[in-house]
Amino acid sequence: MGNEAIARGAYEAGIQLMAAYPGTPSSEIGEVLLDGSRDHDFYCEWSTNEKVAFEAAAGASIVGARSMAAMKNAGLNVAMDTFMTMPYTGCKGGFVVVVADDPSAHYSSTEQDTRLMAEYAEIPCLEPESQQEAKDMAKEAFDISEALELPVFLRSVSRISHASGDVKLGDVRTEHSRIAFNKHYKIQSRWNVYGPPGTLSKHVWLKSIYPKAAAMSEESHFNRLEKVTGAKTAVIASGLGASYAREALEELGLAGKVTFLKLGFIHPLPEKLTAEAIDGADRIIIVEEGDPVVENTVRIFAKEAGSTADILGKRFKGIFRPYGELNTDTVIGAFSEVFGLADEKDEKAAEREKYKPIVIPRSSSLCAGCSHLGSYAAIREALRKEPGVHIVNGDIGCYEQGGYGIFSSKNEACDDDSKKYTCNSPYEILDTIYVMGSGIGMAVGQAKAGYKDGKVMAVAGDSTFLHATLPALIDAVYDNADITFVILDNYWTCMTGHQANPNTIYNPYGDDLPGFDITGVCRSIGVKSISQASSYDRESAVKAVSEALAYKGPSVVIMNDECKLQLGRRVKKGKTKTHVDTARCNGCKSCIRLGCPAVKYDAVSRRSSIDEISCIDCGLCSQYCPQNAIGTEGEQNGI
Amino acid sequence: MEYNIIVAGIGGQGSILASHVLAEAAIENNLRNGKKANVRVGETFGAAQRGGAVASHVRIGDIYGPLVRKGHADMVLALEPLEGLRIGVDYLSPSGVAILNTAAVSPVDVKVGAAEYPSIDKIKEALTAIGRKAVIFDAEALAIRAGSAKCVNIVMLGAACASGELPFEEDILLSAVTGRLPERLVKMNLEAFELGKQAYLTA
Repeated sequence: MGNEAIARGAYEAGIQLMAAYPGTPSSEIGEVLLDGSRDHDFYCEWSTNEKVAFEAAAGASIVGARSMAAMKNAGLNVAMDTFMTMPYTGCKGGFVVVVADDPSAHYSSTEQDTRLMAEYAEIPCLEPESQQEAKDMAKEAFDISEALELPVFLRSVSRISHASGDVKLGDVRTEHSRIAFNKHYKIQSRWNVYGPPGTLSKHVWLKSIYPKAAAMSEESHFNRLEKVTGAKTAVIASGLGASYAREALEELGLAGKVTFLKLGFIHPLPEKLTAEAIDGADRIIIVEEGDPVVENTVRIFAKEAGSTADILGKRFKGIFRPYGELNTDTVIGAFSEVFGLADEKDEKAAEREKYKPIVIPRSSSLCAGCSHLGSYAAIREALRKEPGVHIVNGDIGCYEQGGYGIFSSKNEACDDDSKKYTCNSPYEILDTIYVMGSGIGMAVGQAKAGYKDGKVMAVAGDSTFLHATLPALIDAVYDNADITFVILDNYWTCMTGHQANPNTIYNPYGDDLPGFDITGVCRSIGVKSISQASSYDRESAVKAVSEALAYKGPSVVIMNDECKLQLGRRVKKGKTKTHVDTARCNGCKSCIRLGCPAVKYDAVSRRSSIDEISCIDCGLCSQYCPQNAIGTEGEQNGI
Repeated sequence: MEYNIIVAGIGGQGSILASHVLAEAAIENNLRNGKKANVRVGETFGAAQRGGAVASHVRIGDIYGPLVRKGHADMVLALEPLEGLRIGVDYLSPSGVAILNTAAVSPVDVKVGAAEYPSIDKIKEALTAIGRKAVIFDAEALAIRAGSAKCVNIVMLGAACASGELPFEEDILLSAVTGRLPERLVKMNLEAFELGKQAYLTA
């Protein structure tokens, strides 16, 4: 896996500290390094958020350690403040920032191309075309960083990070850099952007590094030119785009007939190499994953070089759409059009169309017996008792599925104000979703703007609570915002693969920890109305939410139940006991509206039933059945 | 030259493991026979949770990209029939083979009555119409016979091997399988592999 390759590269480079916050598709970098850290004498942590991770790695570098911070695209947004400022002082120990982008937004809130951030921060950027190069770049990035005394940015994408390939391993650097500190290391007030002779001098220093980085890029083996004499077309492809371009050229019989410039060291872009590649070409094709980042610079270089070639990429006469990820098919399609080649015929096109209608979706859902099912059922029930159009602000985590809308995908947009929509499942409950922690901040604004047409709520998980909600919660108390904040505490960072966080009762190595006092923190912030409830106890959960909604001012409800997948790994479940008494069931679908994937409904018999394989006997559906038709007799074996 | 396999299933069935076993066998085949073929596995899956659709693209040969092109899968190995259909309709090559476990796992859309699961006959009809042939059998029952429903992925690897289509020999695939397992699970999985082989040959 690409993420394992990146972790291996860091290990081969003799990494001394790795800090990360999990985020798909980057999480395995941290998981793999954490796994090996104790045996191989380096330090790893899941930081509270990406800014802390970046700062931990930066601090380690300042005292000389080879360090890495890893995050997903959105994580870099959280780290931006320090990320933009650190390059002004540069670094000492090799410092590599890995960011996994997500073209097509498979697992993300946006498709943002973070190569732009590397350019913005004025630091070198590497972009691998394969898992082998991901490993090689992760390793070499430490040397580049130490040579330039700058953080180095390694930009991955989902199809590198979450794809696998054969990788040749390299030697491991066993010696660790000495840990030391010098306040005026090579430059006066080195680690202090305000220190004499002032911030501007630090920017002047940063600018002075650029030519060195550019020279390095010209010579880098990650940039390779295959110049074909007399060829009128030059293909310039960066990162994974190079893999797609190579395959498309071979497929179309164009390999060796066009000039091919493969780019991996993409900021600074090698100007001389690019000029050489486009010299004599009347057509330049640019293939890259994400925004037209390389394309923009190539356009500038081409103009400077006096080239009048047509430049085909994602802008102007774009041959690729400016959104969504590339694949071999789209690149073959674009090349075919440019070169006037006939499209390959699919002899089974008619059959494929014929059978497409029977391919039904497999919608994402919360897990069977997930505590969020109970929390969302309680919130819905409490809100139903209140008049008006309520706003429930969500954010990112397993509970974001509260906005996936699988029961209501046919809702049409309209221009009405304060319109009430039915909410027949947990998958309709969230009204806003943006990023980690955005829900509570937005709830404060809605309440303070004077929203009176209904209640204002926010939800966040425990890891998100620590990561990104505390300043907003302080704001809610300071401004006395009339909102209810429900913390869905399941002890783990689940969505990204059950990583431990400071609220988990184990550290990543499995050692016991006391957990985190969320209630105590809320109290010390000044929240007056705080209650705790179990999502699996309908009555007390609904009561807790109802009382919080009735409170004038900021209120907090903590739904406190460990993730059942994690619990199930320690406490094994016996044979499923939950069952439906079909004589009592009248097909009212109350249990179905709970949204649990273990509850089935048969449209012919108009009766519900329980899926014995996935059901974990949590007892929720039994509490929500008005006919008392769902039984859960006997011991439930700890779950 | 290239050979493309897509292992399709749902989260928790072991389709990613099966795809990595195939990839490791391909790499071992390169090493043993001095071949030079690229090996890639591209994974597509939904949100990080149990029960979502998973497709693992295994590519062997003169290839660079991580995903199989539409209509270019030489083999679709489906641990769940609907997922085999989903992948087959888009990716199965007209000369490709589909091998399907008939044990269906209903998506939540069917459980809540919002969609109807297609019949196994219809799925077989679709894949036969699109590809060269479709072989279907109850791999889950065979896995249980071998000792655990969890070895359904190994049953399917046995069937893939029996098809004679894979670009490496059986012993290489078997050592990739056993190399992944603790000693106590080897016997059960070898049995599962064998049952899968027989099922393919007699289906």
